[in-house]
This record gives sequence, structure tokens and C-alpha cells, in this order.
Amino acid sequence: MKDKPTRREVLGHAVRGATLVGLGGLGFYLIRKANGEGVWQIDCEKCVNSRLGAVGVEVCDYCATSCVLGLSAVRAVNDYSICGRCYICPAYFDIKSAVNEEGLPSQKLCPRDAIDRKPIGWVDPDDPANNYYEYAIDENLCNGCGKCVMACKEPAGLNSIRLVVRYDLCLDCNRCTIAIACPDEAYERKPLSEDEGVG
Amino acid sequence: MNPRTGVKKTNVTEQGAAGFSPHGAASALEFAALANQSRPRGMKPAALLFSLTSFSLTSFLLISVVSVGVFLLGATQAFAQQIDYERPVDVAPSPEDIGEEYVLPVTPQAPPRAQWREAVDVAVLAAALLLCTWIVLVRRSRRWLVVLSIGCLLYFGFYREGCICPIGAIQNVVVALTDPNAAISYFVIAFFLLPLIMTVLFGRVFCGGVCPLGALQDLVLLPTAGRGAGRYIFTTAGGGAGRYIPLRVPRVLDKIMGTFKWVYLVLAIWLAARPTETRDFIICRFDPFVGFFRFTGPTHMLLIGAGLLVLGMFLGRPYCRYLCPYGAILSLLSRISWRYVTITPDKELDCGLCAESCPYGAMKDLRAEKSSCLFCARCFNACPRHRVRGRPEVTSNESSQSS
Amino acid sequence: MRYRYIGVISGKGTNGGLFADALRGLAFDATDRLYAVGDSKLVVFSPQGKLLRSRRTERPGHSVAVAADGTVYVGQPGQVQLFDPDGKLLDTWRDAGRLGLVTAIGFVDDYVLLADAKDRCIRRYDQGGKFLNEIGNDNRMRGFLIPNKHLDFVVDPQGVIHACNPGKHRIERYTSAGKLLGHWGRFDGRDPAGFSGCCNPTNITLNRQGHVVVAVKAGPRAKVYSADGKLLAVMGEDDLDPLCKNTDVAVDSRGRIYVIDTARLHICVFAPDITTQPAEPNADETVKP
Repeated sequence: MKDKPTRREVLGHAVRGATLVGLGGLGFYLIRKANGEGVWQIDCEKCVNSRLGAVGVEVCDYCATSCVLGLSAVRAVNDYSICGRCYICPAYFDIKSAVNEEGLPSQKLCPRDAIDRKPIGWVDPDDPANNYYEYAIDENLCNGCGKCVMACKEPAGLNSIRLVVRYDLCLDCNRCTIAIACPDEAYERKPLSEDEGVG
Repeated sequence: MNPRTGVKKTNVTEQGAAGFSPHGAASALEFAALANQSRPRGMKPAALLFSLTSFSLTSFLLISVVSVGVFLLGATQAFAQQIDYERPVDVAPSPEDIGEEYVLPVTPQAPPRAQWREAVDVAVLAAALLLCTWIVLVRRSRRWLVVLSIGCLLYFGFYREGCICPIGAIQNVVVALTDPNAAISYFVIAFFLLPLIMTVLFGRVFCGGVCPLGALQDLVLLPTAGRGAGRYIFTTAGGGAGRYIPLRVPRVLDKIMGTFKWVYLVLAIWLAARPTETRDFIICRFDPFVGFFRFTGPTHMLLIGAGLLVLGMFLGRPYCRYLCPYGAILSLLSRISWRYVTITPDKELDCGLCAESCPYGAMKDLRAEKSSCLFCARCFNACPRHRVRGRPEVTSNESSQSS
Repeated sequence: MRYRYIGVISGKGTNGGLFADALRGLAFDATDRLYAVGDSKLVVFSPQGKLLRSRRTERPGHSVAVAADGTVYVGQPGQVQLFDPDGKLLDTWRDAGRLGLVTAIGFVDDYVLLADAKDRCIRRYDQGGKFLNEIGNDNRMRGFLIPNKHLDFVVDPQGVIHACNPGKHRIERYTSAGKLLGHWGRFDGRDPAGFSGCCNPTNITLNRQGHVVVAVKAGPRAKVYSADGKLLAVMGEDDLDPLCKNTDVAVDSRGRIYVIDTARLHICVFAPDITTQPAEPNADETVKP
């Protein structure tokens, strides 16, 4: 067995070697094109729910309905550095609903009741309008339907709520079903840049 | 322009001079449009010249005061004065306004999957490939292979939920090769190339114990009765009378159906190579089992997957053999593999006992055919020489017990 | 009471309007001349809406008011500029740490009141620009609630300050010493008599009858209330750009209501409709985008 290799073996080694070199070359070529990990992201300037200027239009809920996950990887987040802590939050309340005896809208906007409202700081026992309120979105309930995002948009609100991809849940599918459904092409896979953190 | 903070940057051409510029005959109509008067007429030439010099003055007007607006001005402008909003108006109340030692909550933002975790995926893949090679070619154990494939099914299938996989990576590679603007992740490259390199060296080890799609199909294949029936999934298929034998596909038909995967591969490459607007990742779109890994998915995917699994109970690994586009590449590369599965651990005897053990039709002339052997290790137990000598330590144990 | 839309002033027309980027403040002087500030400009219109003069301000104007002696005050980021009736710069008030963004100016007795959106309160100065006291921030919220970043108020002939507190959906009345006299207004998203949204009303003025004229955002409108808060009229639902916000309002001696369209950068004019029939708006087509 350890004798001279046969012609056939030599040929086999040559073909194998050539194939491995070819694969290595392919890998080398691809690595030159690699620029880190792209992740699916939502461009707030394109998404109709957060895009300024688009008012009085239908809320787009494709992020909630198109994801392959049971509960979409897209969530609404409230940017606390912008949120005005309003007494009447148009993203929390359905402000078109009838006013109840407390002077508040009787209906909530979120279909999944994912937003929590609580007075913060020193609470005035006599005047509920005399308080700041914190609005926290429960990430385990939110499905990214975008209603609150649209409601918090200028000029009605402050743009403090936006849709983001939960990178820890996103499967980073090659063929993202939300990106295919997105009518605004706001869903893009690109490397995460430094300045796109929480603003 | 930042949509969230609403900072609008606009270039404003300023005009004006000292004092009001008297305006001449304006439209006499009440509330008439003054649109046509972009600049008050009747300006003194000097003032006009002055205002012209200030035309290049470019200022950024602030509409939202969330961010600090800065007026950028040419240094030589007469009116140049940097207007900085030293004290911008905040929308959010400060913690001091809120009181009671309010702490600003952190806005939730899940970080992207850490690079090291992606690297762990690659490491797991590499380790699984090496382990599978060792189990099949050296240890020659069906039992350990099943353990490994279940492990890989749990990790790559149910934990990583079917993404990232080398099969889908074909499309990313095609996109990276054809689209000059496309980027590709290092980890995708590794997932694409590692199984290919292992195939050139050792055969289709990826199919045998690493691929979660293959593992799922391998596990649903109806077990055959026979030796060690209680441990059915660990035992061989075939090998004796009165036992269940998976559906045999006539060799010619098997070869014909095997060309489907080439068609699929070409179609996938063609669709992935198209421009962005019409690009489609068909492999991912019709991935049959990813819906099971995620416990949800489009109906067509789940139906195809269920159909393939039901079929796979009677016919060994239909997706791998007839459809998998990555399998097409692997079957080609495995033809030149350096090492490969030999049914008998040493010299092959042509006794024919193994003939019916292969559920995947990879047995040709009593040898495992390189291009279609899926490294399932079922045939080993059918070989009498394997049973005697394939597991030397067992033999030595028995001999030590008997002594 | 009814108001009808009769046209616009200073449209951002095809040849470039007077205002390219912003139009923020409106005021009338005693002779019904209309002062408007925007961009970095102070513009004066005749009572008929003709452009009279225009001059530059040092910084973008956010508010304008004309004192009884004709001095024009222009509120700007970090400062107030004073001009004489001919447009000559008289003085520039800066008060480091106090004047953040001046979004409203009023006069009571011999004092000048400046609304500071940065510190969410109104400040009283004497005519020399010396700071005296603060109004509206002696409360739990440490000031008015203005998530809309605009604080507006008006002073009635009795010297009472009527200030918008949009976050509370109220109009609050203060003395110039800073004492809260009372408030009216409530949230209601359905009833037009209530204030809708997160923060309304945004802007306020008074007409000759003592009615309170307010502007609201999302959707932008102007409303007229009696002094005790009874809704009298609504206007501008169809005439203002839906993106308008902090639309300053002014009323002339004829009772016409002028509302800034902050998106289209022109001033919408509404006249009291003496006929009962709602008249067809007489909009100038060339300037209405």
C-alpha cells in the first residue's frame, strides 16, 4: 500500500488539490467583499409610520403581520430622551374615543394593551393633569403594528416612538418576509453603523 | 434630516440691510399674492450689493429645538454671526422637573447578535463536521452519529431556527459575486465553504451528521425491525427477511430525479443573481423544514415540509437526494473526495450482506457510492466484519471478560 | 358666530415667497399694521395686506409684539431685539441663563413680559430690560407643559395674563406678579369645545370683544371661545396644512383672525361672517399650493 502511488491516485490528489485551491480562492475573493455583519433594520425616514409629513394616512402594520416569527421581531420603542411624559398621550389613548368621567379618553390605542402608563415623580393627589407620566412599551406584548408610532408623530406628537428590529429575536433571514412586504422599502439589511443607536 | 428629532436643515438666503427697505408699488389688491416679490424692489444699489454678498450666507434654521441648531456662516460675511442655541428647548422633562429622584430609563434596544456568537456558530459547525468525520470514518458508530445529528438538529435547527445554513448561503455567495455593492458576512462565507472543503477531503460528512434538514428526515425514516429492535433508530435497515425495507427507487429513476436538484440550484443561482428589485431567495422561500424549526411559517412551507416528512417516512431523505441544491454541489465534490465511507472496515468481501442496508440507494456494486452516500452509517452494522472487528475495544472487552 | 376664509398673505409662491423656511410670529400695532417674523426677517404689511417693509433680524424671529409707543419687540433664540417703528434697531436684550427661546411677548403696565420656552415660564422685565420676576413656574411641574416647544400668552386690558398650558389642555390666568387666578379648558378628542391631542392649544390671542382666540395643532384649526371658555367658532379645518404646528394667531381691529400656516409659510385670514350663509372662500389660487 505504501508503494509508489498509482497514476490514478496522483491524478486524484491533483484534482483535489486544485479544487481546494479553487475553494480557497473563492473564499479569499469573498472575504475581500465582506464588510461585517449586515442586519435587518428599519429606516425611520422611509417607514410611513415614522416618516415626517405622512399624516392622515393609514397605519402600515406589515411589520406585525409579515414576520416569520409568531410574534414579530419588530417592536415599538419609546425613546425616553424625547418622550414628553404627556398627561394625554395620543399613542397610549385613542384620543378620538369618548371622554370618561375622569376626563381621559375611554379607549386605549394599543390593540394588545402593551403600553403601560404610570405617573412619575411627585404625584399630585388632586390634579391628575399636574403630573408627568411615563409610557413604557412591553416588548413581550408589542408586535410592532405601528399604531402608536403613527400617533406619536409630528405634529400630533414628538416622534418619540419608533419601530426597531429586536436583533436578539430577528433570525436574520436571507429572505426577510417583512422586507418583501414593506411598501416603503424601509426595511433594509445593512451593517449597523455607530450613529444609529438610541438617539 | 432626522425624522425622530425633526431637525430640519434648510438653507436660507438672507436679505436686508440696515433699516427697513422701503417697498414701492406693491399689488394694490387686498390680500393679493406677494409671491412675485422675492426681494423688495427699490433697494439702494449699495444695499443691494450688500445683500448680494450676504446671499452666500447659509444658515441652518432650526425648527425643532431638540437638537442644537447651529448656523453655519461664511467667515467674511458682514452679518455673520453664529447663532447657537446655547440653551435648546428640551421636549422631555428633565429628571429635576419630574422630581422624586427620577432616573431616566434606558430606551430598550436589543443589541445585534454578538459577533462572538456568530463565531460560535462557525466553531460549532467546524467541530460538528470534524466529529462527524471521526464518528463515521474512524469510530464507525451509527449510535454516536445519531447523537451528533440530534445535537446539530437542536442547535442549528431549533436553537438557531434554521438560519444560518450552508444551503441558503449559496444565494448570499451568488449575490456577493454578482452584485458589486453587496456585502457578505464572514460567517456566511465560513458556512458556505467549510462543508465544501470537508466534502473534498472526506465526502458528504455535512449531510450525515451536521445538516439539521438531513437529520430531521433521517429521524422520521421508519425504523426497521431486526437486530436490536428495541433500539430501533440505532440499528440498521434491512439485512434479513421479514423486515421493513424503505422504498427502493429504481436506479435509473433515482438518477433522473437526482437531476432536479441541479435544476433547483441553477434556478436559485439565477434568481439570486438578478438585480435587487427582482432578486429572490428561492431556497429560503421554499425551505421545507424551517417552519418546523420555528414552529410557525407560511402555509405553503409547512405543507411542503409535512409532505416531505411523510414521504420521508417511507423513502429515505427525499429532500436531500432529489431537491437540495447544496447537495448537488456536494455530490459533485464528493466524487473526488480523498477519504470516503467503506462499508467494511478493512478489506471488502463482496458478501452482499449489506446490500439492503442503505435506505438512500447509495449502494452500487456492493460499495458505497461516493456521490450519493449520505454518511448515515447504517450499513456498518450490516457488515459481519464490522461487527467482529470494526469496534476493536468492544472486542477486547469481550475477550477480557471471557478470559 | 362664523368666520370665513378670505385668503392668504405672503404665500410661498412660484417665484419664492417672502418666507423661505419659517414663519412664526404675528402681531398688530395700534394702526392695524401686521408684523410677521420668520426666517431672520421682520416683515410689515399694511392693513390691506400689502407688503410695506422688510428688515433683517439678527436671529430667527419666534415672536413679535408692538408696544403702545410703537416699539417692535422681536423674540429670538437667546435674545429680544427692539426696533423703532421705522425699523431702526434700538436695543438687543440678552439675559444669559434667562432668555432661552422667546416665543411670546406681552405688555402690562410699564413692563414687558417674555415667554421663555426653554424654562417654560413667563418672565417680567422693566422697560430697560431688567429682570423682575417669573410667572407660571411656581408649581409642581416647574413651569408650563409645552411638549410642543412653544409657550404663548396674551395680556388682556385689565392686565391679566392668559397663558396656554397645552400639556394640561388649559388656559391659565395669572397676574403679572405670578399669582394663578384660575384656569379653564379640558381635554376632549371628540367635542370640538375641548382641546384634543397631547398638547393644545398652542397659541392664544384676544379680540376686541374679549373673546379668546386660540390655535390648535393636529389637525390645525383656530377657535374662538368666550372669556369663560364657551366655544363660539371654529375655523381653518380645511384651510391650514395638516402639518401646521404652533400656528400663531392675531386679530385686527375689524375682528379678522390671522393664522400662520407654518407649513405653507403664509398667513391665512378669516373674517367674521356677518351673513348667515357660509360664503365661498375667496382664496387666491396663485398662492394656494
